[in-house]
Amino acid sequence: MSMRETYGSVVPGMELTDLPGKIIVIEGTDGVGRSTQIALLKPWLEQQGRAVVDTGMTRSELAGKGIKQAKEGHTLGRITLSVFYATDFADRLEREIIPALRAGFVVLTDRYIYSLLARALVRELDPVWVRNLYSFAVKPDAVFYLRIGVEDLIPRVVFSTGFDYWESGMDLHASEDMYESFRKYQTGLLAQFDKLAEEYQFEVIDATQDIRTIFEQLKMGISRVIEGKPEVTPAVELAKPTPAEISQVAEIASPAVAALAASGASEGGHEHRARRSSKKHAAQPVAKGRRAAH
Amino acid sequence: MKRYGEHRFPGKLFVVEGIDGSGKSTQIALLNQWLHAEGYGVVFSEWNSSPLVRDITKRGKKKQILTPATFSLIHATDFADRMERNIIPLLKAGAVVLCDRYIYTAFARDVARGLDRAWVRELYSFAPKPTVAFYYRVPLDVAMSRITHGRSGFKFYEAGLDLGLSGDPNESFRLFQGRIIAEYEQMIPEYDVTVIDATLPIEAQQVQMRQIVKARLAQARQLRVAP
Repeated sequence: MSMRETYGSVVPGMELTDLPGKIIVIEGTDGVGRSTQIALLKPWLEQQGRAVVDTGMTRSELAGKGIKQAKEGHTLGRITLSVFYATDFADRLEREIIPALRAGFVVLTDRYIYSLLARALVRELDPVWVRNLYSFAVKPDAVFYLRIGVEDLIPRVVFSTGFDYWESGMDLHASEDMYESFRKYQTGLLAQFDKLAEEYQFEVIDATQDIRTIFEQLKMGISRVIEGKPEVTPAVELAKPTPAEISQVAEIASPAVAALAASGASEGGHEHRARRSSKKHAAQPVAKGRRAAH
Repeated sequence: MKRYGEHRFPGKLFVVEGIDGSGKSTQIALLNQWLHAEGYGVVFSEWNSSPLVRDITKRGKKKQILTPATFSLIHATDFADRMERNIIPLLKAGAVVLCDRYIYTAFARDVARGLDRAWVRELYSFAPKPTVAFYYRVPLDVAMSRITHGRSGFKFYEAGLDLGLSGDPNESFRLFQGRIIAEYEQMIPEYDVTVIDATLPIEAQQVQMRQIVKARLAQARQLRVAP
């Protein structure tokens, strides 16, 4: 029987054995394209017959709304904010992520504890304290880090959401100017992410590439992680959604994304498909063996 | 971020601890009155009172969706908010701060709920060490007879019913409080806590408390405000 691990502490009542699902984390700073990729990955996984739960920060029933409201007021202290985020995370972990893993779902999570660590560390909280705070987190099966430099990030943020108070680190009072503050804050944050990438062995993906290329890289990485897991026998053609399907999904995120996805969708598809399907066949006996052992 | 014991503030911090029915709230209310009358700048802060998480705590309790972990973290959020926005600035300004329950309540309750002792202690390590922490020691039966008068029954989390120790609220409360007492007793040497015999008459306890507080306020005279 395999047993999952946490980063140190275990909360009461959390049974870490018999959790056959997978946790796939998409990490990266704001504006890097995480939600666009998740919108593409979810239907792709579902087409393969895998049940998917997607979750993300501040989406807990318990604390999600409370955090959002509190952030509106701009008066949260940095320790308070970290603990509040931990409350949100714990609620999702215990009542959403773990039950989904137990039921064999793929949990696709938009950020995990790493964003929380990076934000706390850039705010100069005690590293021992911060790591202890989130140490009850279950170690994920893979972390894909969408990496971008500040220079590439700025135009994206300017032309989408604009500068956000917290994402610009305005609470640190580094500068009155939101642009200056954003640059300083994100530079520090990205430096923290780079350190975490090494410490926690993220799979780094260059987020300056086009959406389609990033999607392909994520698919390859995720396929590798979840292979060997008992699965529905593949139908004739399920490895890759058609360009039309992708643009349909991407449309949900933004019309511009849909156009981009559709333009790049047909390139190089056959090679990937061939490689993946051969891998899948190789993995079949393993999957059967594991099933028999249960 | 400063850790427990590293803070050096001009203000003074007095906290009271003990199980429900120990009489600690009565004692700190009397102390508060007296300090005001003596002309000190006194501020009183209560456990679980920050407006930040009031609504979600209430809802979480009502819907009974709190686990030991989220119960712990939501109270830590409340505490952190009161610390960062209120208590630490006041201590820096030289005020006398009185707290009805402090980190030791979290240590006792969260560990009684099964959380890791070291994890909870580290969680609250940002809290300043109190000038004096008073523990109102009382036998469980005495405390129970005090609080069962004039009360219709125990609330779900208060009685530790989330732990499934017993289906009977009274019995569950007794078992849960017993665990809490055991945790408190362990903290007395660990954190140099001052023990008050909470079976003594109220006036006698208050005399002891005032003597101890007075001795620690000798250096805080400059913080007096007009009565």
